[in-house]
Amino acid sequence: MKKLGFWNAGLIVLALGSLALMAGCKPKDGGGESTGSTGSSSSTSGETASGDKINIGLIASINGDLRPWGSDCRDGAMLAVEEINAAGGIDGKMINLIVEDSNSKPEDGKTAAQKLASSDVVGLVGEVASGITMQIKSVALEAGLPLVAVGATNPDITKNSDGKVFRVCYTDDFQGPVMAKFAFQALGKKRAAIMTDNKQPYSQELSKKFMAFFKSLGGEIVTEEFYESGQNQFTGQITNIKSKAPDVIFLSGYFTEVGPIARQIRQQGLNVPLLGGDGWDSKELVTSGGDAIIGGYFCNHYNNKEDRPEVQNFLTKWNEKYGGEPATTMGALGYDAVMLMIDGIKRGGTDKAKIAEALNNTEGFAGVSGVINLKDHNGDPPKRALVVEVTQDGQKFAKAYEPDEVFN
Amino acid sequence: MENLLYVWAGLEFNFSTLPQQLVNGLITGAIYALIALGYTMVYGVLRLINFAHGEVFMLGGYVALFVSWGFGFSPEALQKNPDAQSSALILVIMILVAMAACALIGAIIEYFAYRPMRNQSRIAALITAIGVSLFLQYAGQIFLPNSPPPSIAQQVNPYQENLKFDLISAPKETRDAYTAAKTESDNLKQQFETALNGRSQFDDTLTDAEKALGTQAQEAQNKVSALEGEIAQKSVGVTITVGKLIMLVTVIVLMLILRFLVMATPAGRAMRAVSHDFESASLMGINVNKVITFTFMLGSALAGAGAMMLVTFEGTAIHPFFGLQLGVKAFVAAVLGGIGNIPGAVLGGFLMGLAETLVVWAGYSNYKDAVAFVILIVVLLLKPGGILGSSKVEKV
Amino acid sequence: MGKFWTVRIASVVAALAGCFIFQTVATNLGNDYYLRLFLLAGLYVTLSVSLNLINGITGQFSIGHAAFYMIGAYTAGILTRAYYEQQPLLPELWLVIMMLAGGLFAALAGLLVGLPSLRLKGDYLAIVTLGFGEIIRIVATNQQSVGGSYGFSFGPKVVAPWMVCLLAIITIAICRNLLKSAHGLPFLAVREDEIAASAMGVNVTKTKVAAFVLGSALAGAAGAILALNEGYLNPDIFKMDVSFLILTMVVLGGTGSITGSALAAIFLFLTIEIPRNIQTADGQKVQITLASLLMAGLAIAIAISLLRKIKDHFHGPPNQRLIRNLGVIGGSIAGAIVLSMILNATTVMGDKTFEFDKLRMVILSIMLLVVMLLRPQGVLAHHEFSWDFVKRLFRKDHDDKAEVAS
Repeated sequence: MKKLGFWNAGLIVLALGSLALMAGCKPKDGGGESTGSTGSSSSTSGETASGDKINIGLIASINGDLRPWGSDCRDGAMLAVEEINAAGGIDGKMINLIVEDSNSKPEDGKTAAQKLASSDVVGLVGEVASGITMQIKSVALEAGLPLVAVGATNPDITKNSDGKVFRVCYTDDFQGPVMAKFAFQALGKKRAAIMTDNKQPYSQELSKKFMAFFKSLGGEIVTEEFYESGQNQFTGQITNIKSKAPDVIFLSGYFTEVGPIARQIRQQGLNVPLLGGDGWDSKELVTSGGDAIIGGYFCNHYNNKEDRPEVQNFLTKWNEKYGGEPATTMGALGYDAVMLMIDGIKRGGTDKAKIAEALNNTEGFAGVSGVINLKDHNGDPPKRALVVEVTQDGQKFAKAYEPDEVFN
Repeated sequence: MENLLYVWAGLEFNFSTLPQQLVNGLITGAIYALIALGYTMVYGVLRLINFAHGEVFMLGGYVALFVSWGFGFSPEALQKNPDAQSSALILVIMILVAMAACALIGAIIEYFAYRPMRNQSRIAALITAIGVSLFLQYAGQIFLPNSPPPSIAQQVNPYQENLKFDLISAPKETRDAYTAAKTESDNLKQQFETALNGRSQFDDTLTDAEKALGTQAQEAQNKVSALEGEIAQKSVGVTITVGKLIMLVTVIVLMLILRFLVMATPAGRAMRAVSHDFESASLMGINVNKVITFTFMLGSALAGAGAMMLVTFEGTAIHPFFGLQLGVKAFVAAVLGGIGNIPGAVLGGFLMGLAETLVVWAGYSNYKDAVAFVILIVVLLLKPGGILGSSKVEKV
Repeated sequence: MGKFWTVRIASVVAALAGCFIFQTVATNLGNDYYLRLFLLAGLYVTLSVSLNLINGITGQFSIGHAAFYMIGAYTAGILTRAYYEQQPLLPELWLVIMMLAGGLFAALAGLLVGLPSLRLKGDYLAIVTLGFGEIIRIVATNQQSVGGSYGFSFGPKVVAPWMVCLLAIITIAICRNLLKSAHGLPFLAVREDEIAASAMGVNVTKTKVAAFVLGSALAGAAGAILALNEGYLNPDIFKMDVSFLILTMVVLGGTGSITGSALAAIFLFLTIEIPRNIQTADGQKVQITLASLLMAGLAIAIAISLLRKIKDHFHGPPNQRLIRNLGVIGGSIAGAIVLSMILNATTVMGDKTFEFDKLRMVILSIMLLVVMLLRPQGVLAHHEFSWDFVKRLFRKDHDDKAEVAS
């Protein structure tokens, strides 16, 4: 029994540690996957000491099942930082974006946020999902850091937040009613069926709000069926829906499942219009949904054919850096969130409380996803919602809803 | 035809949709069964829960995706040439390449990860399997296209038309009303579109008359939807696309081929021998290593076929975690039928598919995933070896 | 007061002192991130040691431990939300009550899951425990009263590092004392051979259920600490991969070894976290090139196969064996570095970079495979930490040391 397995295993650990060394032996900058600040700050690293940098923390789902949204959010954020740094930063100080991975899990998100809060960041940006943002929020509140949420649409996020938590997206309180109003008034539909992704808080909340508002308008919800993201057979639910004879179907989940669902709906010979929320926004939607999804409507933050300079500037820059268009709506929202934070820093300086105060006083901030006003709104910007139609080559603008015209 | 809807204790049993639901369940179950076979065969010879099987399935989906891209169905190629035509040949090549690639992947995993663990404790082998599964998921996230999750362009699937089988037709007056409403709706839609003349239907420049026409068209359409629903409620029938029918047939054919391979070929006989008694089989001159590799290749090829059909005929988006949930479900199906037992896996797969669909049918789609496990636990408590499995009494 | 009581009292004092030190260190780090790492690592120690009681010591195959963790956490969360406002107690006292409540409910669940184990063996039991975890998660997802998949928040938050430490110590003490006392023998007997055990008069049923109940109760108490520490719960926190992570900790440390489970818990948890903290001198993320990545993979693969060869075919003295092992590892690292430097010069492989940070989970899985392939019985196998081992470690005689380590 003279084995040295114990030491063997120890040695392997050392070997793995050397992986890190190997990586360090040629740290590369630039390249497809590097952080935005690496490229720009290395060029000026001669004159900027570390004290001349302003650190912003971004928590994004770089690993795990929210990766499509997380990586878009990070890319958008990096684009914003690069743009500001290329223009000379804020009063000569460069912005340094520190990206931490949340692994698509609330727990890991909190750890990531805590790590950022323990370094010298002046503000936090993130996450794309409400559950994770909730955890980040508690860290931000304890550390007194301002937090700009990217895609967290759950209304609870900004409640009890001491004026420290903001978001750049609209809430489900708004998006659900917009689609309900669109379905009821613009399309004249009276009987709606809903399909909810039970695993996603986003989808659950959106369905709830759609349902409530559609009923209050006088419509009827014939049935609500559930699925979980990751499933691939929805035929059972669709058969149920078909037997209830709806005029319209509201699919509140993400595009990953919406495409197949749409196809399976048409395959069962159900030819009613399909509606959805901003989770639909992706260039993959048409590939996976095909003819079935064309003609569907969803609520979006911006439309890539809009001629607002912010939108076109963003799309051009994105195309230069990454090629093509952002895959999901989080590209634009990540960009806006960081830009908003930088705007706060510009107006409030590098003091955490001042930034939060400045953010609370934001008026008329022109983001890609629309104009953001935060004054007297407790962190929830009343934003314009665009309803767009899915077409073969992307989206076509259908109808815009201003924040105050939805509820009356 | 009276109403076929029965409500009992909050559950809705709509018997007009039952045949359709059974067909849905059969198709869902077919895929479960196909993947479950891989679990059960590996378990049969090695007594190992191959947790990486779901990931082999996932890689099969990616292989099918790449092949379809090679045939000009990638998003970029489709933008240049949107009218790319698919054919049965392309689908056959896709499925064969996916099966071959998966067989290879299965053999590689077996050689590098499981073979060294063969004489170790089963729990160590299980952890290795979990390690392989994690590795494939997260390495896949780095190296494979997944942001956004790609799906096979629907043009690849040339079999999209619907087949309708009516068991009981709706009353003639309803059908007539539907046809009339449909004609009227199409007519109004046509008129409205002519009036719009390229403008959006929500345009502010519409005149009142045009708006009224729009509303009329919408109402006509709603009426069609309502009648469609009435027909659905009053008739009993099954709608299935040709693609899904092909899928079902392919699964059955593959199962028959498997049965032939296992029952009537020397390799299959060797496999059964190893499955029956590992030690004696090797003493009788069977090359156990070869048999195990063969088993892995067989199981993985089936997973590859399943993945290809799922992404092609259902349009499922592919991402590195795509195999996880289906893998667990299929594993449950295998255990349900009696793990290690090939007919058991097929039975378990179909049962699971049917059970899930019936839960949805009764109006509890939110508990669809839980029910699989509930059934499993109940069955195992009644019959600890699974439905077709034997629960041997342990010898002292 | 004989030696017996001296040792008991000394242990209790040592445990309390340990908690005090843990508390002092954790709160004086001045860094919430490290505090959180301390807390979570401590919870994982409890979880893995308690699973070890079921899997390693009693030999029952449970792979759904996160379910009990979740039940404990949700119990604490729901009760705090419902009753704390009406009955504001000292937060620490409330935490203790919640731990008891969480432990109780988790124990009931453990009883529920333990009962099928009377009939089911091995993999069948495994799938039942896994299924139980999924059922619990789906039920929580569908309960709007606990916020569905979004989760729910509650107050107050209680951050008590000493309690985490104390729970871990209690868990370890329970398991250790079980193993060392006559009460633990039935558990070991059931693990080794159920039929023989029952022939020897061991109540197999009772033993199995006891292991489940005890293991789940401890996991439930850990869940209660987590709940009150977070102030927010969501079903996503308790996904299947948490169960797998805990199971991995147990196996990696050596099934049956308490020391192994505890150390592996800390080690694995840090493996996931450390890559986050590897940075270049100016605080940037480390970029790793495609070439380095592939070469590192290759080096690991070659090193594993060579090390396995040495393990199986070399029977010389241990120090020569060690030298050979070192040679293989050093050689493969050096080879990988040289090769990757050459390849880094090429545009194809040198210009594509990945953030090291992103590779966290890949590193974890490779680590898992490496340990399993080289030491399938787990790093510590069935060995335990003992004072004899420490004593011998400091003796000059190296052969002796090798023997103990094997």
